[in-house]
Amino acid sequence: MTKLMKSLLLAATLLAGAATVAPAFAQEVYLPNLSYRTGPFAATGTPLMNGQRDYMLMLNARDGGANGVKLGYDECETGYSTEKGVECYEKTKAKAIVTQPWSTGITLQVLPKTNVDKIPILAPGYGFSPMADGKTFAWAFNPPSSYWDGASMILNYISEGNLDNLKGKKVALLHLDHPYGKEPIPLLEQMAAKHGFTFLPIPVGLKEMQNQSAQWLQIRRERPDYVVMWGWGAMNAGAITEAVKTKYPMDQFYGIWWSGSDDDLLTVGEAGKGYRSISWSVPIPDAPVMADIQKHVIDAGQTLMTDPANDKNKVFYQRGIIISMILVEGVKAAQANFNAKEVTAEQLRWGLENLKIDDAKLAELGMSGMVVPFSTSCDNHTGHGGGWMLQWDGAKFVKVSDLLQPDRAAIEPLEKEKAKEYADANAPWAMNEGCQ
Amino acid sequence: MFYRTAGQFKTSYQADHALFPVRQDFVLLIVILAFAWIVLPFTASEFTFNALLIPVLIYSLAAIGLNVLTGYAGQLSLGTGAFMGVGAYACYKLITIFPELNLVIAILLSGFFSAAVGAAFGLPSLRIKGFYLAIATLAAQFFLVWLFEKWAWLYNYSNTGAIQVPNITMFGHTVAGAQADALTRYYFVLAFVTVMTALAINLTRGRIGRIWKATRDMDIAAELVGINLLKSKLLAFAVSSYIVGVAGALFVFLWRGAAEPNLFDIPLSFRVLFIAIIGGLGSVIGNYLRALLIVALPVLLNIVPEALGVPISSATVEHLNVMIVGALIIFFLIVEPHGLARFWQVIREKLIIWPFPH
Repeated sequence: MTKLMKSLLLAATLLAGAATVAPAFAQEVYLPNLSYRTGPFAATGTPLMNGQRDYMLMLNARDGGANGVKLGYDECETGYSTEKGVECYEKTKAKAIVTQPWSTGITLQVLPKTNVDKIPILAPGYGFSPMADGKTFAWAFNPPSSYWDGASMILNYISEGNLDNLKGKKVALLHLDHPYGKEPIPLLEQMAAKHGFTFLPIPVGLKEMQNQSAQWLQIRRERPDYVVMWGWGAMNAGAITEAVKTKYPMDQFYGIWWSGSDDDLLTVGEAGKGYRSISWSVPIPDAPVMADIQKHVIDAGQTLMTDPANDKNKVFYQRGIIISMILVEGVKAAQANFNAKEVTAEQLRWGLENLKIDDAKLAELGMSGMVVPFSTSCDNHTGHGGGWMLQWDGAKFVKVSDLLQPDRAAIEPLEKEKAKEYADANAPWAMNEGCQ
Repeated sequence: MFYRTAGQFKTSYQADHALFPVRQDFVLLIVILAFAWIVLPFTASEFTFNALLIPVLIYSLAAIGLNVLTGYAGQLSLGTGAFMGVGAYACYKLITIFPELNLVIAILLSGFFSAAVGAAFGLPSLRIKGFYLAIATLAAQFFLVWLFEKWAWLYNYSNTGAIQVPNITMFGHTVAGAQADALTRYYFVLAFVTVMTALAINLTRGRIGRIWKATRDMDIAAELVGINLLKSKLLAFAVSSYIVGVAGALFVFLWRGAAEPNLFDIPLSFRVLFIAIIGGLGSVIGNYLRALLIVALPVLLNIVPEALGVPISSATVEHLNVMIVGALIIFFLIVEPHGLARFWQVIREKLIIWPFPH
């Protein structure tokens, strides 16, 4: 037998073998995730993806999925690159009933497409703040709080509930110079003009993430009363190290929820004590759901975490769990309403629009206190559940506030205005006319 | 046998200097064109259009633009990504200021903006050469991306700092924006790329192309035989940036749909440079071969193991992709420094004398 024949035979057996390994579940919903476990943002992305994946695996192992339908969780690697993200979206959209873009840049690209392809976008706590307006953005969801909600909650917290206390103060926004980091600027500018504080945006370019000496020099010179950070990936750790180096008071330093990763602060440890980050999720190590994940996923050797004993109690891992929970609850709501098993994209859209995550629901899921309670409706795709302030105690993040609420009266007109601008720029834009 | 040139007599100089002196080459081109214009549109899926065909065409065009400058005129440039950005932002501003403007005209006009910027940054090429010129174009790269970030007028003061392509209709068909059909966009890009390629081939074969080649091979000698280096080099920068700018406008308007400034950062420049170098400097066909390889490889790596049922995680595929592309670059630089185009040339020469090698 010649070499060629041998290799042909080998290939044929491989193919035959592949054909027999068919999926064992009869029914399945395909839920792809545009993950990033590679590239400059991998450090913050990986724990989130692990949390999302492990919750889905746990449900499949414990309950056989959602009402007997397997949750077909799948990852498509983007490396946080918009180009790869769009490629992943195109690749998955034929079968997918949801798209989870995982980057504000990718969200901006797929947002107009999903409105044509009719696939819901689920972007919990990220994406474009005006997506809250469900009449305009019929297919986009960003529960439980948007970036503008986050910015408003931080201001409410530092002003102790009365924004006029900020009069004459100086608030710096240290942000990534990227669509994501620029999100809070319009709201903060408006608030600054209204309440008489100075707003100082300090951009950090993608190339300067790890070396922010110029930005911190500016902070030292300007002496802002508060520094609010909108950072991601390597930028967070860079900023926190620089803050420690320049001896900026940590209790005047605040971050958005994506700037509150344990791993970013572990590098400075004690020195980072006092740093606060707003968050709509809190890690609870002894929650019943964590015990189930331990039993069905971690002990079964299915997890991708390298150090499960420590990593599973970190903020980002548990936030990943919450994100998958929101998606699965959307699927379940759609199943119940349409009396269907394998829900379609159209039905899931209804499900995500009718989420009711209250305390009773969270207790039933074994997640009491892990996420802010919220509910969505057709004109409210965010839910605006609010958030808590978490503080770094030198070894971990602890909750230090009651439930904070954003200043919705100030945000809503801005959301409506920007949503309308978006729809006009993308005309003809299909609105959800049925929603009152 | 397939490539028998016997019996094809040329009776005039014109015939001898035709674009395709060998009839089989011409037939091959017709087959490829027919394949691209007729067969693919009927067989390809939407994913193939969006992830493979359209990007291959656009990257090829950008690489042809760079090849005019680097391959023909011998001026190394690391600013291709930024020049693509100039084309894209110019097109965006034209379309938003004059919404009635035909998209074809807008794209053709936006090339002039990048040509002007390219020529301006090409001025130092009269004094400096080689690596030093590369650094000067690198300055263009950094400066322009910085400008895209800071000059809010360019992105119409949008709070995300990104540009978003509106839905644009032409003769009742949506050609750009989210509602545009993949097939329409493919034909649009294909038409542009076909015409621009034909222009580029003819330009590089003619008088101007010879002037560029003379400049590339030895600029002092070229100057002595009466070539005006100022004109020659600046023209190369302008023509190259024009093609690159058009490719940039197509890149955003017909493929991406939205763009943020860092999209045009140095990785894009390197990507186009790799396509041009590995495809073969000073050749047009090589750009297509290499663009096909660099775009198709990650897509294939994603699809093939899955189709074979090999469990391989998506993150591993990404790592593999980076490793394979890197290995390929080193392999080609060692084994065939003249690139894929040279491979094709060798095959073609072998075919012409086959089956009698003597």
